[in-house]
Amino acid sequence: MTEEHQRTENPASSSVEIPKWQLDLDRVGFTRKIFMARKWYGGDWWFVVVSAFLLLFIIIVGVFPQWFAPYDPRAEVGPSLLAPGEPPSAYVLVVQTDSGVTTMEEIGGKDNNIGFIIGSPASQALREKIVALNAESQAAGEGIQYQPRPHRYETAELGLIAVETGEIDGFIASPEELEGAIDNIPGVEVAGTLRVEADEGFVMGTNQIGQDVLSRTIWGTRIALIVGLSSAVVSILFGVPLGLISAYVGGTLDRGLTLVMDSLYSFPGLILAISIAAVLGAGIGNVIVAIAVLYIPTYFRIVRGQVLSVKQELYVEAARSLGAKSHTILIRYIFPNVIPSIVIIFSVNVADAILTEAGLSFLGFGLPPDTPDWGIDLARGQDYVRRAWWLIFFPGLMVSLVTLSFSMLGESLSEILNPRLSE
Amino acid sequence: MNKEDSPCLQADWENLVEVHNLTKWFPVQKGFLDTFLAGEKDYVRAVDGVTFNIRRGEVFGLAGESGSGKTTIGRLAIGLEKPTEGTVCFDGTDLSWLDNEELRMLRRRMQVIFQDPMASLNPRMTLGDSISHGLKIHYPDKSSAHREIMLDIMEKVGLTPPHFYLSKFPHQISGGQRQRVVIARALITNPDLILADEPIAMADVSVRALLLDLMVRLKKELNLTYLFITHDLATAKYICDRIGILYLGKLAEVSELREVYAHPLHPYTQALLAAVPVPRPLERRTQPMPKGEIPNPINPPSGCRFHPRCPIAQDICSQEEPQLRELRSSHKVACHFAEQFL
Amino acid sequence: MSDQNDVLIQIRNLSVTYQTRMGSVSAVDDVSFDIKRGEILGLVGESGCGKSTMGKALMRMIASPGEISGGQIIFDGEDIMNYDDKKMRDFRGRRVSMIFQDPMTSLNPVQRVDEHLTEAIEVHEPKTKKESITERITTLVERLGIQRQRMTDYPHQLSGGMRQRIMIGLGLVLNAELIIADEATTSLDVIVEAKLVDQLREIQDEFGLSIFMITHNIALVAEVADRIAVMYAGRMAEIGPIQDVFDNPLHPYTQGLLRSVPSIQLDDQEELYKMPGEPPNLTHPPSACRFHPRCPVAMPICSRIQPTLEETQPMRLVNCWLYQDHPEKETPTNQVMV
Repeated sequence: MTEEHQRTENPASSSVEIPKWQLDLDRVGFTRKIFMARKWYGGDWWFVVVSAFLLLFIIIVGVFPQWFAPYDPRAEVGPSLLAPGEPPSAYVLVVQTDSGVTTMEEIGGKDNNIGFIIGSPASQALREKIVALNAESQAAGEGIQYQPRPHRYETAELGLIAVETGEIDGFIASPEELEGAIDNIPGVEVAGTLRVEADEGFVMGTNQIGQDVLSRTIWGTRIALIVGLSSAVVSILFGVPLGLISAYVGGTLDRGLTLVMDSLYSFPGLILAISIAAVLGAGIGNVIVAIAVLYIPTYFRIVRGQVLSVKQELYVEAARSLGAKSHTILIRYIFPNVIPSIVIIFSVNVADAILTEAGLSFLGFGLPPDTPDWGIDLARGQDYVRRAWWLIFFPGLMVSLVTLSFSMLGESLSEILNPRLSE
Repeated sequence: MNKEDSPCLQADWENLVEVHNLTKWFPVQKGFLDTFLAGEKDYVRAVDGVTFNIRRGEVFGLAGESGSGKTTIGRLAIGLEKPTEGTVCFDGTDLSWLDNEELRMLRRRMQVIFQDPMASLNPRMTLGDSISHGLKIHYPDKSSAHREIMLDIMEKVGLTPPHFYLSKFPHQISGGQRQRVVIARALITNPDLILADEPIAMADVSVRALLLDLMVRLKKELNLTYLFITHDLATAKYICDRIGILYLGKLAEVSELREVYAHPLHPYTQALLAAVPVPRPLERRTQPMPKGEIPNPINPPSGCRFHPRCPIAQDICSQEEPQLRELRSSHKVACHFAEQFL
Repeated sequence: MSDQNDVLIQIRNLSVTYQTRMGSVSAVDDVSFDIKRGEILGLVGESGCGKSTMGKALMRMIASPGEISGGQIIFDGEDIMNYDDKKMRDFRGRRVSMIFQDPMTSLNPVQRVDEHLTEAIEVHEPKTKKESITERITTLVERLGIQRQRMTDYPHQLSGGMRQRIMIGLGLVLNAELIIADEATTSLDVIVEAKLVDQLREIQDEFGLSIFMITHNIALVAEVADRIAVMYAGRMAEIGPIQDVFDNPLHPYTQGLLRSVPSIQLDDQEELYKMPGEPPNLTHPPSACRFHPRCPVAMPICSRIQPTLEETQPMRLVNCWLYQDHPEKETPTNQVMV
């Protein structure tokens, strides 16, 4: 008798021997099974792991954005259009030498003229100061007192010359902007600082309103996931049962439904979503509905196709010959074999829904304008492509990353869920 | 047909299944234009007027090549298809008397073992669920007894230790084990009739003998009757008590197996038996084979369907269809000239 | 009758490995045998024994994830393992031809019968004139028992038996020296199979080519082959002349197999031998001799050291410790009766 295989007592008996290696495989614990899964899954094991981790991270960020975002996404927390990592610079007020002016209040009135370089964030520093001064004066009951006329200059030198000649009362610029120029023009001096230089900047910079891009991006994840997942779920709730019933029952019901679904399917996706969103109006609920409708025909078609092919399988006939009722066959035999395709479409669906949602908001449909949403940010950032690339880079990167993770997940799932691959 | 006219009322008690004049024609799918132009529909005459009985406790074989209609007859016999004409009597009951629900419940007594075990098991159901499914359908209120009955049946078919298999899926076990699972599933409701459709054709050669032996033992142990469909006449010898030879939807010959094999009276049966390879190198076949090939069942030859290929065909063979007649004791042949072989 | 001692193809230590998710599987493990000119050699075995892989390996048609991991295939004196792509293309079809199990998928559905045959000639013998091509293929088709009118048919218009004959024709049209038939009759009805096998025998008589018939149907091999080779779990178990092996099988597997084959003859094989166990899963093959778990006469050495295929008497090769000596062996070696 050999050690390796367990034999039955009577070799002529009809029993089937179970080889030892098969029995051993059974006794292995759960964690060991996961490790051994690497063996059977093969070389692309890392693919599943990476996408799973990425997705998990994204979902946590989406569910608890407040843990990750440093600021309120709607608050103006810094100077506008600050580059990533750049600390907001100080801004100083330059006046005529010996004019005796030390603060903005003295030259901030309605008859005053203040200058700055074209496109410089100095304008925002000016505006901040004026707004603050006006808030004070309003609180004191004096109304809006400060409203100087802005003047823009090509270079710091031209501006400083204007100060020197008295054309403008004051010139606002950062020390970097003044460098070099201020030494050449004797008649001007720095009066005081308008805004102090901060220690650190913003990781992803700020947008044109001064909102922190990082916080907006993180909060955008939540919207994206909500819209993506909800619309996918709604699509499944409608598309899958319709597909199941249509294929199982057949006949005119099937023909009719297929016609409807095919027509919907042949519409270009974004246009259909836009039309529905336009009809329904703004609001996140309507956006979800609009995108959901887009995907119902896909689920319908795939599920219907699967059911039609599974219906022909021998095990369905075996179930019928056992005496199973129709609904048992549908639920226990046909549906479980259709689930893998549903799951795979689901992951692609979510990815696509997020893209569509971004597209809708980009075009101005659906979400209110200040919502921290990638699509909205992308839309607002498109004019600033050269000046402030970070406005579209980070939201765009997030869209790509999330889409990629869901697609990777879909691919890995299609491998795992297929039981026909023998061990 | 009225209930009073059914031949099942005169059914012999010894027969579990009686099949009278069974006919099944399948309409051929044609394109719109073809139907428009041709006018008439075409039919695949899969089964054309077949009559036989299956006695209680016997293994009745139906043998034939492709196009013989054997699989269709099997399905008609257990009500998976409705005949175009003719009657199927199961234990004295005409299947056409039953509505869908009654037929569904009758399924408990007739079960099927299919040819391809991998394809006939639901890949997403555990083996335990697959095997016990019949119990859940027909004895839903006795669920506490289900597990024990299932373990018992699994021991009987040789799936030991049973608990090893319960949570497995079909792709995790070998082919021979799968076929046993299919057998267990068929036996669990304690049926009277088993339709075995080429049950060992896909098993390995060295495993077939085991499966055949298992099926014979189970027949005795559980009082089963088999309708055994096969194209392999050599295997049929080891399990079938009686056998019917089919050609193009009609029965050519039917009798005890040993009788048919020793004294084949129909020229087709003779050719078929000679064609089967014999594992004896010194006894190679010298008999020539019938010319031509099996014709299309949409347009079968007139008269006797075998006449274009038959070595002893005469004029009458293309004009008149031969009926099944008894030439030796319970040995029936459908040939005008079978007497010459007596 | 051609010279039986003239060897057409020598296979030496051939191994084919597949890389699967569970590790590497040696589908064919160190197999050696010869095919002689003008003989019909039958290769029998069950599923997973490697016989189909063997057939494909002879044409070097093993595709990834499998590969020929060792050995030589010496055809007419040259090792085809050294052939480059061009030489292999010439080799396939012209010197060795293959017939597959399912003729529907191996024939081009959009090419007619005559186009199939013409293309074969045009590819391998490009200088042949059109008229002589047409004449050649017409003669061949009629020789195969197919009516001339059917030459313009497409594969789906022909029956299974006819398609297989076309496949044989593809081999013959270029005067191949070896035809490999891989389960060529498995999907055919028994009468059609019998006629096809008759045809193969006639062709072999007339053209003197060799046929390597791979099948699981042992009775079929008995009907037609000159020699028989038995494979089990990727290894060769036994080879010998057909009558000798059937009369006196040496390997325990062959003995069991022959006793478990059903015979249609009423006085033959009253009861079938039930071989215990099942053919092994090659991802976890048994150690040493792969048959030992099912072997009724297994010895301790069988699970420890692998036997080799030895010629125990002229023309009979067996791969079993019963017939070989080894210092560790405890029981005496059987002397094979001549």
